[in-house]
Amino acid sequence: MENLYNFLEKNSIFIVLFIVLIIWLGIYLFLWRTDKRLAKIEKELKEKENE
Amino acid sequence: MNKYIKFLLMVLMLIAIIAGIAFPIVAKPEHWYQFPVIPGLEEKARIIFFHVPSAWLSVLAFLTAMAYGIRYLKKNNLDDDAKSNAALQLGMLFSALATITGSVWAKFNWGSFWNWDPRETSIFVLLLIYGSLFALRSAIENEDKRARLSAVYSIIAFLTVPFFIFIMPRIMSGLHPGSADDNSAGPIVDFKMDFSMRVVFFISMTAFTILYYWMWRLAYKSIIIKEKLSNKLIRG
Repeated sequence: MENLYNFLEKNSIFIVLFIVLIIWLGIYLFLWRTDKRLAKIEKELKEKENE
Repeated sequence: MNKYIKFLLMVLMLIAIIAGIAFPIVAKPEHWYQFPVIPGLEEKARIIFFHVPSAWLSVLAFLTAMAYGIRYLKKNNLDDDAKSNAALQLGMLFSALATITGSVWAKFNWGSFWNWDPRETSIFVLLLIYGSLFALRSAIENEDKRARLSAVYSIIAFLTVPFFIFIMPRIMSGLHPGSADDNSAGPIVDFKMDFSMRVVFFISMTAFTILYYWMWRLAYKSIIIKEKLSNKLIRG
């Protein structure tokens, strides 16, 4: 653990890398969920139109 | 959008981020995971994997906006206007991102956040041109009239894009890489990147393009749903 800490302290670009990766994961999950939600709303609207 | 394309986007973007940020830049690359030093850019060359794709997406988005503008004028279908509008919004977003990332980078490479370099000036003018389109859209209440005017405007506005993005900054001398007096000659992509850098660059371009397509679909779908619902509320 100490080794890892020392390594990250000397190579701080990897900390930047982790931060950017976390941000990308967040954006990706958000897009995925919004896509699902929109598809559901589209389906409901279509069903209501057909009624 | 197909599930596999979404996974592909995830993987490509992960590769672009990891390689773009963490691969070491060395004077003489010996392994595939090392990037060469580009004179004058050094570590700051990494911006190319994120800033250039943003600028590319703004061109792509404005092109989409024009294409659906033309389609609207042909078919008079308001869905095409929604697609054009969604593309315009994304185009503004990505050109703003390209401007901001470029400006932060310029502070550390050229010494100031804004230098009125030909490329900075041209993106500024483009932002003004497309920004006024939103003012135009919000000023008109009639849907058809708004769609028609916006379609015509997006076609005329796109005519300036190749000039401002591809021609003007290259024929004038300036600070931006790829300007006319760039002494190591020519755009970075062709001459100064080595093979692995170019591969990562094009992976990043592909990932950003898929991301744009996904965002665009979400944006226009939500606009169409909103219009459908408001029509229902009005007509009952």
